[in-house]
Amino acid sequence: MGLKKLTILALYTTLSLIIFAVESAIPPLLPIPGIKPGLANIITLILLRNASVKDTGLVLCARILLSSLLFGQAISLLYSLAGAFLSLAAMALINRLLQNRYIFLTSVTGGITHNLGQLLVAYLITKVSGVLLYLPFLILAGMVAGLFTGLCAHFAQKYLMKLHHGFL
Amino acid sequence: MQQTTTRKARLIIILLCIMALISIASLCLLFRPSESAKGLTAHIYQDGDLIESIPLNQVKTSYTLTVTSKDGGSNVIEVRHGAIGIVSADCPDGLCVHQGFIKNTALPITCLPHRLVIQLQKEGDTWD
Repeated sequence: MGLKKLTILALYTTLSLIIFAVESAIPPLLPIPGIKPGLANIITLILLRNASVKDTGLVLCARILLSSLLFGQAISLLYSLAGAFLSLAAMALINRLLQNRYIFLTSVTGGITHNLGQLLVAYLITKVSGVLLYLPFLILAGMVAGLFTGLCAHFAQKYLMKLHHGFL
Repeated sequence: MQQTTTRKARLIIILLCIMALISIASLCLLFRPSESAKGLTAHIYQDGDLIESIPLNQVKTSYTLTVTSKDGGSNVIEVRHGAIGIVSADCPDGLCVHQGFIKNTALPITCLPHRLVIQLQKEGDTWD
């Protein structure tokens, strides 16, 4: 990994951590666990579009580990990891299918699968089938959040082209 | 090349729309007002085990009970006639308190950090 690439990836990790920190200061919009805008996904999307899946995974992993060290607790690490990597896998697949175009569709898929992963972990931990009733809420919330982050990543793209050129 | 991507994108949009419609439909089903005024029983689960069942229509005066989790976290639950909710908790996000009181079987109250779930059930219905 070249020095410039390493620097850019570190920069993105920092950016996503900042976004994550700011977002966690926003009070929950709806009284349902797991519903949040997921703004740090903007960084994941930008990287997915411009860098390799492996590099995106690295940045995502670093962000989750650091954020749970800094702000979270052990249990939320499990939720985050499950949601993040399920959605990363789905987004990488969809993004490949769509050849880097329609990034908002990728992120809508990511939003849904992120919430699916978290709900699955919540079910495995609580073992109460009632928590699965959150599913329709979480799907819709994932769609809205995914659309928003996708559009952010879409509009950020043209300003970031220069930064990435030749380095990622 | 361009065209096949557009076609795939269209397919994904259609699939996502179907998914959204199914979600909205199931939400409508979930929040359909319950037709029978049968008694409700609150089931409190911790770590997947049923720790308490309270018939809510037999509650005359409100009272609170405290549930302590294995790792020392606690949730204060208030039981009223026909309703139940968490009034205070020492979990980091406080989402369970934010969820307020529930009066129907539509959604459970969950406190994920303490692995606590409160779910209402109509008398006679069985869940699992």
